[in-house]
Amino acid sequence: MSGSNRLRMRRAALVAVATLSLISACSSSPSSTASGGTGAASADAKPLVIGASVSLTGDFADPGKAVKAGYELWADQVNAKGGILGRKVELKIVDDTSSPTQVVTNYQNLINQDKVDLVFGPFSSLLTVPASQVAKRYGYAFLEPAGGGPAVFAQKLDNLFFVQPAPVVKSGDIFADWILSLPAADRPKTAAYAELDDPFSAPIAESIRARFEAAGITTVYKEVYPAETQDFSPIMSKVAAANPDVLVSGTQSEDAYAQVKSLVQLKFSPKFMFMSNGANSPVEFPSKVGTANTAGIMSAGDWFPGSTATGAADFAAAYIKAYGGTADTIDNSSAEAYAAGQLLEEVAAKTGKIDNATIISTLHQGTWPTVLGDLKWDSIGQPEGAFHLVQWQNGSLVPVYPTAIAKAPAMYPKPSWGG
Amino acid sequence: MHALVQGVILGVLTGGVYALMASGQTLIFGIMKVVNLAQGAMVIMGAYLAYQLFVSFGLDPFLAIPITTVVMFGLGVAVQLLFLRPLRRDDKSELSLLVTFAVALLLEGIMSVTWSTTYRSINTSYANSSWTVLGYQITAVRVWAFALSLLALGLLFLLLNRTRFGRAVRATVQNPESARLLGIESDRVAALGFGLGAATAAAAGSVYGLLYPFYSGSHYDLISRLLSIVVLGGLGSVGGAVVAGVIVATSSAVVAATVSPAWSEMTFFAVLILVLLVRPQGLFGTVGRGAI
Repeated sequence: MSGSNRLRMRRAALVAVATLSLISACSSSPSSTASGGTGAASADAKPLVIGASVSLTGDFADPGKAVKAGYELWADQVNAKGGILGRKVELKIVDDTSSPTQVVTNYQNLINQDKVDLVFGPFSSLLTVPASQVAKRYGYAFLEPAGGGPAVFAQKLDNLFFVQPAPVVKSGDIFADWILSLPAADRPKTAAYAELDDPFSAPIAESIRARFEAAGITTVYKEVYPAETQDFSPIMSKVAAANPDVLVSGTQSEDAYAQVKSLVQLKFSPKFMFMSNGANSPVEFPSKVGTANTAGIMSAGDWFPGSTATGAADFAAAYIKAYGGTADTIDNSSAEAYAAGQLLEEVAAKTGKIDNATIISTLHQGTWPTVLGDLKWDSIGQPEGAFHLVQWQNGSLVPVYPTAIAKAPAMYPKPSWGG
Repeated sequence: MHALVQGVILGVLTGGVYALMASGQTLIFGIMKVVNLAQGAMVIMGAYLAYQLFVSFGLDPFLAIPITTVVMFGLGVAVQLLFLRPLRRDDKSELSLLVTFAVALLLEGIMSVTWSTTYRSINTSYANSSWTVLGYQITAVRVWAFALSLLALGLLFLLLNRTRFGRAVRATVQNPESARLLGIESDRVAALGFGLGAATAAAAGSVYGLLYPFYSGSHYDLISRLLSIVVLGGLGSVGGAVVAGVIVATSSAVVAATVSPAWSEMTFFAVLILVLLVRPQGLFGTVGRGAI
């Protein structure tokens, strides 16, 4: 290789390296946040330091930031009330760039170097699995608001608590409960299933399908589609051709919007429609599919605006004060992260202690009220409750089942598109 | 049968858009023998520009095209002058892969910072409307997208075949040495050609943003499809890219509609391999000289 050739080669490599570093410089800014509450915590008491690794960059950056917002909001509130057992809560939040290896490093550093007192979980099951292993090794309780996939519970960890009402695969069961609670004449006779090939989507629809088939609702169409699917017209034309009474979609986000748009274009509106995720997004969903097209679509949720669960009103007010917006724009992930903090307060109030062994043994017993409703867990951290059934009515998400928390009766059959 | 016809309709309409995206890619290869790995990122950039104009000024994405194509033409010329021209001629093809990939990453980074990494989509008033023709649903936005793509490809064809610049481009593609001897400034042709490729990406980006949700990382998916289309059509052949774009989109829509969406991508690659076994130069590629 000639000298000038080598020089040019190096220049090309430099461009590539410069580009890469420019990008990473622009997008990654690891932050560590100490919460600035001004509570009545006694000055001499040692602060209670809680570490968490959250995705602030990478694939999970947006939901990761919502989790961070929830943790910080809780810390500010608890400090305003004087902290936990007189100790001021200090958060140490680090960025894991959505990477399963970085998350391990982060928790090892938080526990071994920073010697944090407690830890909270990261975002996604992908990151919760390796992170919870680290916590287990050092005997830390692992309250995690965003890792509810089968892989998390397959580890059978006794220190883990998933802070949501039910494991992900069972989050749609409330829809089956509701359908089967209807008078026999009103129930759908035929069903179609369109499922994203993903551990957080297809199993939800499959769980509903098992219940429906056992109850005699005939499956007229089922398709599992890969994550790369862009055009839903072919799938939705087949759904329309099968003409089911109910369409159950195991969706994530973009695929849910695309399914609705395709159905509108095909002018096919089933009598009942449930989407596991995507349709429960209070802001994105109506903006992507058009508010008029949301009417009657159902989904599952835990926190919702106007909830009367423990602390929910305070949470909503504080959230709006801190971050702006309205109750309708609060991300579920923030509420779930906030609930993890509430649990710590309740354990401390009940036992008078706040250490990992106490948290682990205490949370395994009894029922715990949070902004998400009452939570309880089995021996491996699977929540034993149920999500709420929510439905789009007049442009907002309304809880419609179970009856005890319903704000309005469920509307059926679903109106046709555009109103 | 109904599903098959519906699939063909969808595929042909979508194919037009892919043809437009791939035409820029193949043009750049034809002129400079550069495989532009940034073409996908340029399409997404075009989509973001159209999105921003729509959100900020309510400008319809179709009407935004004259603006976005000019901006992206400038960007394309700049990329060529800054990053590609300095490369030595004898190892340009290999190095350009690295450089255009770096450009793709740079654009991705800029887009991530500017618009964050959430999916965006352009929701015009007509986004969900469709016509019923003989029992088949024809989506309005896809018809407009197809028409726009045909129009843009038509303009490209006229530019290449009816102007002095077009003749210079074709001469450079066919025989760069002779073209230079005859006084064609190959550097200028290359810069304008790269700009033209970027401009087609901008036009296609407007349409892409209307059809699909996108985010800064969408270009990886796109570039793999574009490269396949360009290879299937024959590297450097604009006509080949058009035919291959329609073949790709139609085969994938028909298989999704009649068999399963899980097989649609696979089928296309099977077609690609079969064609390459019989015609290694692609459908319309030539072995010796270049051709457009």
